[in-house]
Amino acid sequence: MTGVKKKYLTPVFLFCILYLMEHIVEQNLLYDFYGELLTEHQRKIYESAVYDDLSLKELSDEYGITRQGVHDLIKRCDKILKGYEDRLHMIERFGKAKSLAVKIESAAARGGSGMSDEIAGLCRELLEIL
Amino acid sequence: MAVKIRLRRMGQKKAPYYRIIVADARSPRDGRFIEEIGTYDPSTEPVTVKVNEELAKKWLANGAQPTEVVSKIFKNAGISK
Repeated sequence: MTGVKKKYLTPVFLFCILYLMEHIVEQNLLYDFYGELLTEHQRKIYESAVYDDLSLKELSDEYGITRQGVHDLIKRCDKILKGYEDRLHMIERFGKAKSLAVKIESAAARGGSGMSDEIAGLCRELLEIL
Repeated sequence: MAVKIRLRRMGQKKAPYYRIIVADARSPRDGRFIEEIGTYDPSTEPVTVKVNEELAKKWLANGAQPTEVVSKIFKNAGISK
């Protein structure tokens, strides 16, 4: 397990996830994968924040809690969701599997000699992740 | 009337995709918007941003307030007032 984990935690991959991605996109992905594990209340507010790009002020007006309260809730949800990702790695594996699927597709489209070997190799890699 | 330029999430679960929209700040949640001025697709490599520059400039000049992430996107796309 640790072997698999290490393999995909390459610096480049982490760089992509952490620095290139807009924070809101990361939040959206976290919410898509683990959102159902939040409470109803957290879900409602977090969803408005990350799907509709609402500001703290707008959320606080909308839900009748203080701006500070909204801020704390979002920070807390970020932390909870990231905690799930740190332990379960579902987004990481999803991203990796997706990019392998794209590679397989383009290898198949390219055709030519060596295609089946290439596809078989990529499929083995894919199966390792799943 | 305050007008905001913000992202609105579209796309399926696990495949986020956004519209950049101009909307009245007072009705953020009912889904109404005044105009769509672009799209933002983070799933491609590199990220695809399509913005109707003319409209964006028009709304910015008219005092529409972009959210933090939208102003960042505009900056990267070389759009300013």
